[in-house]
Amino acid sequence: MAELMGPESVPGFMPPIPASTQLLAVAWVRWRIFVNGMFRKRPKGTRQIVGLVFATLLRLIVWPMLALVVIGPVAASGFFAWTAISEGHPKSLASLLLGIALLWQFVSINGLSIAATIPSFDPASLVRFPLRFGRYFVLRTLLGLMTPSTIVGCLAVLAAAVGIGVANASLALPALIVMAVYALMNIYLTRMIGAWMERWLANRRFREIFSMLMALFVVSIQFMNLQRAPMRAPGTRSSWLLAVLHSSGSYLYWLPSGFAAQAILLVKHPLAAVAQFAGLLASTVLFAAVFAVRLHKEFLGEHLSEGASRRVQVPSAPRVKAQSPQPAARSAPAASGVIVSPTVAACLRKEWLILRGNGSQLIGLLTPLMFVVIFSMNRAFSAVSAKYFLPAAIAYVLIAALSSLYNIFGADGRGVQVYLLAPIRMRDVVVAKNLMSLALIVALVGLAWIIICVLARAPVPVSMQISTALWTVFVVAMNLAIGTIRSIQAPRHFVPGQGRQQRATPTNRTSALLVLAVLFGCMLLQIPAAIASSYFAAPWLGAWIFGPLAVAAVFAYALMLRNAERLILAHRDMFAEELCKT
Amino acid sequence: MTTPAIDATALTRRFGDFTAVDQVNLRVDAGQFFGFLGPNGAGKSTTIKMLTGLLAPTSGSIRILGGDLQANPAEIKRQIGVVPEGMALFGRLTADEYLRFVGRMYGLDRATTLSRTRELLEFMQLAGEQKKLIADFSHGMQKKLALAAAVIHGPKVLFLDEPFEGVDAVAAGTLKAMLLRMIARGATIFLTSHVLEIVERLCTHIAIIHRGQLVAQGSLDELRAGAGRIGQAEIQEAAALPGAEMRSLEQIFLEIVGTDREGNPAATAPEQELSWLS
Repeated sequence: MAELMGPESVPGFMPPIPASTQLLAVAWVRWRIFVNGMFRKRPKGTRQIVGLVFATLLRLIVWPMLALVVIGPVAASGFFAWTAISEGHPKSLASLLLGIALLWQFVSINGLSIAATIPSFDPASLVRFPLRFGRYFVLRTLLGLMTPSTIVGCLAVLAAAVGIGVANASLALPALIVMAVYALMNIYLTRMIGAWMERWLANRRFREIFSMLMALFVVSIQFMNLQRAPMRAPGTRSSWLLAVLHSSGSYLYWLPSGFAAQAILLVKHPLAAVAQFAGLLASTVLFAAVFAVRLHKEFLGEHLSEGASRRVQVPSAPRVKAQSPQPAARSAPAASGVIVSPTVAACLRKEWLILRGNGSQLIGLLTPLMFVVIFSMNRAFSAVSAKYFLPAAIAYVLIAALSSLYNIFGADGRGVQVYLLAPIRMRDVVVAKNLMSLALIVALVGLAWIIICVLARAPVPVSMQISTALWTVFVVAMNLAIGTIRSIQAPRHFVPGQGRQQRATPTNRTSALLVLAVLFGCMLLQIPAAIASSYFAAPWLGAWIFGPLAVAAVFAYALMLRNAERLILAHRDMFAEELCKT
Repeated sequence: MTTPAIDATALTRRFGDFTAVDQVNLRVDAGQFFGFLGPNGAGKSTTIKMLTGLLAPTSGSIRILGGDLQANPAEIKRQIGVVPEGMALFGRLTADEYLRFVGRMYGLDRATTLSRTRELLEFMQLAGEQKKLIADFSHGMQKKLALAAAVIHGPKVLFLDEPFEGVDAVAAGTLKAMLLRMIARGATIFLTSHVLEIVERLCTHIAIIHRGQLVAQGSLDELRAGAGRIGQAEIQEAAALPGAEMRSLEQIFLEIVGTDREGNPAATAPEQELSWLS
């Protein structure tokens, strides 16, 4: 024990810590976190068995679906690369690589709910250890390699290299080398964008400007699309954006994807190939350097200083308004003219204030709309049939919005005790939180609906609109019901506004899998409905299928609401354990 | 003149227009048990973050054991141990896994890391919690683990931010004994706590920060005698009154920070507010 009591006896110079020691330590701890996350202690007895069976079933359902989502683009990359070389369309290689880069960013933006299934830790906490910046940079680079975007992107790039190699064996080695650098470039590009966006979104003024710019972008694209390609007849509207992209093909060679493609294709002209490869390397170094600038600020404690500055800006003396003593509001009936009870109204206001101050969450919800705009104008999506694009786009928009329903108390943290201590019915709190979520979902779905109807090449049939509306009611009501139960049974504390760099995912793994399973399941329901509707030439079949399902889902939600009070009281210990722990 | 363990000169940190720490000069000699006090929001945590290399100062210099912290942060961090605000533990690890990770990150070899991990877990009475995740630990257990992690590499200077908060009396006694033994062996401890009795009992020297500025620094006896106070003439006069040398640290602290810059009482009398409370 005496060893504990004193400092190291060797003063002064210490040999440097080998990089391998620290890198292996972080790799090992990352692995242990993953393993411990998989086998975290669970409730005993029957609940344990039920929980295990449930989680296993979820994985069996969701993982193959996720695998399909990954395998699709990966196989397509390999096939298109092979086609480009073997059938003599080498120029399309640059477009393919640009597509992979866009896919990489797309998955990065949309991969949060999948990332929730991978337990991790805040890598910024490593700054307190004796690390030099260079080593910290390497660690931060390595720690993000297990993200969905990196996995999907790297596999797509590898598939493209294999495709090229199969088509022309002499290009195999250069393709492999160039694609490795191209993957690295994409990794740093994603990190750079993520890190800087997170930094900017931390600033309230920037969030406001950014939200406004995004809204302007959506509106102006629609406006320009209508101006440049007015609807002459159904099926004749063209996308000006696609036309611009098509005509700017030669400019693609000045992008990293162009450098990479040229570096492979010009392999018989070594000097030109090396020059193109140097361009790709320079892009990689540039993105890494811009990412490093942000990391260096973090290394110097910027994230800590933000917390401190936020704290000091809090007014020291709270305003105290003269108030008359109030009796405990036990969900008193609403005052005249007020629709909801005072408890619901107070909770709604609180939820709104938190949401209003959390611009990054709002922007996260609005981002899918941007993709809806882009896809709406893309012939590949809207030309086949606008009527099938509508439900697909609504489902896509719902993915981001619905995952928050599965942990409605998570952002309250220890504040949840206020609800449990106050003389109120917890059911009212649930109603308020669900109402706020519902308002957001209605707004998002409504916007997406308008965008599709305005930009789609052909009008969406009324039968499909009704069918989609009923499907949406079904999905939202069902997710509200299941999500609320899950929020009560498995709450998880998270800090709203903490970004993906901190890996602050708002749901736990099972909930994240559940939301994916429910959503995939609901989307899959659309397929047989659409096939049957087409086969029997019965356009209203979807409405007949989803109408009763919507009613049943609303009924299930009402049933859940009736039991919410009892359910929450039965899970008070879970709230204390997961949300109130220091 | 010996090299001070901690030597901060004109240390300043600004957040936008707000100056959290303003021109602080701090000197802690090797072997001192140093208490760093201040009311909430005074700048204590910001100062500690700067002294431990977690936060870059806006201006000023920091030397730890004679080495420049800003120039050689990695080397200096190897010489110090920190129990930071919020403890910074990894909740999804077990205590054993966490200590092994910390040991390796500080460059200890595998065998030393393992033996010290075992020893520390025994000492902190955490050895029986081998399979429990840190997230499932009580607050007190987490504090003990954070302290264990702070000393696993045998630091020469230890920074402790509220180390006894939430720790039971038995464990607190053990920890205090451990810290005093470290001092006896030549280590330096920099401690912040709002429990002034603990500071008074453990610390030989004290500094008080108020509104980002250092308002007092010296030994407890010096503070009782009114020496070591910076820019508070009225209080220095009060300290000269008969019986002043018998005052507790709490009384001294309240005298110093319970006044505004002009020496007027800062706090509002409680009876003037919340009169509706029964």
